[in-house]
Amino acid sequence: MASTDMIRNEFWRNGPQPGSFYNFPGGKNSEQIGSAKRTLQPIVTGTSVLGVKFDQGVIIAADMLGSYGSLARYRDFSRVSKVNNSTVIGCGGDIADFQFLKSIIEQRVIDEECLEDGFSYTPSSLFSWVTRVLYNRRSKFDPLWNTYIIGGVDEEKTFLGYVDKIGMSYQADSVASGYGAYMAQPMDARSLNKYEVAIVTKDGVEIKSPLTSETSWDIANFVSGYE
Amino acid sequence: MATLLMKPDETSSYAPKQTYFSPYSFNGGTVLAIAGDDFSVIASDTRLSEGFSIHSRDVEKTYKLTGTTVLGSCGFHGDVLTLTKMIEARLKTYKQHHQKTMSTSAIAAMLSTMLYYRRFFPFYTYNIVAGLDDEGKGCVFSFDPVGSYEREAYRAGGSASSMLQPLLDNQIGFKNQQGVEKVGLSQEKAVALVKDVFISAAERDIYTGDAIVIQLVTKDGIKSERFQLRRD
Amino acid sequence: MFLTRSEYDRGVNTFSPEGRLFQVEYAIEAIKLGSTAIGIQTNEGVVLAVEKRVTSPLIEPSSIEKIMEVDDHIGCAMSGLIADSRTLIDRARVEAQNHWFTYNEKMSVESVTQAVSNLALQFGDDDGDPGAMSRPFGVALLFAGIDEKGPQLTHMDPSGTFIRYDAKAIGSGSEGAQQSLQDVYHKSISLKEACKNALTILKQVMEEKLNSTNVEMATVTPLKKFHMFTKEELEDVIKDI
Repeated sequence: MASTDMIRNEFWRNGPQPGSFYNFPGGKNSEQIGSAKRTLQPIVTGTSVLGVKFDQGVIIAADMLGSYGSLARYRDFSRVSKVNNSTVIGCGGDIADFQFLKSIIEQRVIDEECLEDGFSYTPSSLFSWVTRVLYNRRSKFDPLWNTYIIGGVDEEKTFLGYVDKIGMSYQADSVASGYGAYMAQPMDARSLNKYEVAIVTKDGVEIKSPLTSETSWDIANFVSGYE
Repeated sequence: MATLLMKPDETSSYAPKQTYFSPYSFNGGTVLAIAGDDFSVIASDTRLSEGFSIHSRDVEKTYKLTGTTVLGSCGFHGDVLTLTKMIEARLKTYKQHHQKTMSTSAIAAMLSTMLYYRRFFPFYTYNIVAGLDDEGKGCVFSFDPVGSYEREAYRAGGSASSMLQPLLDNQIGFKNQQGVEKVGLSQEKAVALVKDVFISAAERDIYTGDAIVIQLVTKDGIKSERFQLRRD
Repeated sequence: MFLTRSEYDRGVNTFSPEGRLFQVEYAIEAIKLGSTAIGIQTNEGVVLAVEKRVTSPLIEPSSIEKIMEVDDHIGCAMSGLIADSRTLIDRARVEAQNHWFTYNEKMSVESVTQAVSNLALQFGDDDGDPGAMSRPFGVALLFAGIDEKGPQLTHMDPSGTFIRYDAKAIGSGSEGAQQSLQDVYHKSISLKEACKNALTILKQVMEEKLNSTNVEMATVTPLKKFHMFTKEELEDVIKDI
């Protein structure tokens, strides 16, 4: 059944329908996605993550909200995590996917520590690995719906990198994902004033959690349209 | 570019909002290469963008492959990263198998096959290979995303290519000029021209800007130069 | 407890206590039963010459082929179990074309030889690699070609070992022929001289009387690439020896 549909609708896999041009790189049309639809949307999500390099280290920050659409569903989700004494990872996007990848990373770190060979994942090797994992998953049309920010210190050199759900990655002195990419701090409805920061220096990792930022609605009356 | 990246179902605006997964994004960037008699110049801007935001102002999109070959690659940065890593791995194994460094033309031929092998899930990348050929002459090879390629005297690729190419046609190819003496291109003129055309592109194309990196390939090696562009 | 030699020559992957692989050595012995083949490298190109054993007047001599084209720029002469060579030559041809397809350049003689050598070593009596040979190939090859390093002659034996030569003889008459090659070879030998020498030496070691039907000769030159001598061209050389 499915195969006859395929013959009727496309010249080849991912190809155009008879009489149409190959639409590059527009992806599939809805008919082609059809029955092969997968979980291609995030469910419980975290908003921005921020990362900044400073003179002796790196700091990564994210709030603790897990949104369910527009609903502020969970208020105590941790989106930054320590990988080892030199590396931290922060995440935006689907929280289930993050927890999945985090458990894999944690297991790999345990396996690595068991070897007791003095080697541990460096920020840049973890960054490269996460980039490859996310690119491979996107290539299978089964992405991990996340943006990752990986930071750390390796032999006194600071590292900060960004990877998104399709394997697009780069390094920079400061990075921000999601809504935070547009402004210095999250002012998104899907953000919370409760947050965590992870600070990496050559002396190790320190996670400060939870922190709160004071909010004030006193001035709201001065904003036109608030009434 | 925006139309190319439209999500599959954006045509039906009455449908409930759904998040479709697109394995591609367009991260901008422009590459440009010019072949001279005994040199070639290849340049790219350093802006990495997505939609209306800039991810980074400092991502070079030229990749030194050998002592005589440089690749310029832009489009979807995830594919660029993957493709360049695959090429580097292939260069190493080639050297181990054949005890020699790959020539520019061999790299171009190989890149064509690598791109075509992904014909039905393409690398969304615009590639230009520049360097010296086996005779020491400057050479430029340009590619489409699925591996069609040809050797040319000059070529612009990527975001602002449709602005740069006619400019090059006019200034290097002497197209639409009358009574002009068709003189060969010197290294100095080529580099100056690259700067000029990128300045113009940065004026009009939001996906091109911040800086350019110019790589000059001669028999003496590869010289790298950086040049600021507007950052807005 | 030591086993005798006859017990160590069964498995192709079993070393004898002295560190020898008997099956491989036997395969090399098999070459010495084969017809003689000669290769000479010159500055102008490389020549390959082989004897064909036409053991019956009812044999169609042209159906015996012991020099083959691998690519435009590479030829190969062989001695031993000729049937085994088909697999190796097939690999050489595929590798050469694949290289050209991917890199749009000619594959070097050494790389082709290396690729064939890899196949020559893929023998074993386990089930590991379906399609692989269960015994060593019983054939030796002379690769003649021209690449960016100039004219090249390489010999490869059933152990997969390959060595470059200025001049090399393989097969039943190889001992005498190799000595003769050493006597006549000099670095500035011309291709024409080399062709003549190759046939002269073949004539010395052949049991039958050499003529234009019981030898094959081919050259690889920058100009004509791989070129198999016609009957007339052969007769042209033969009349001078």
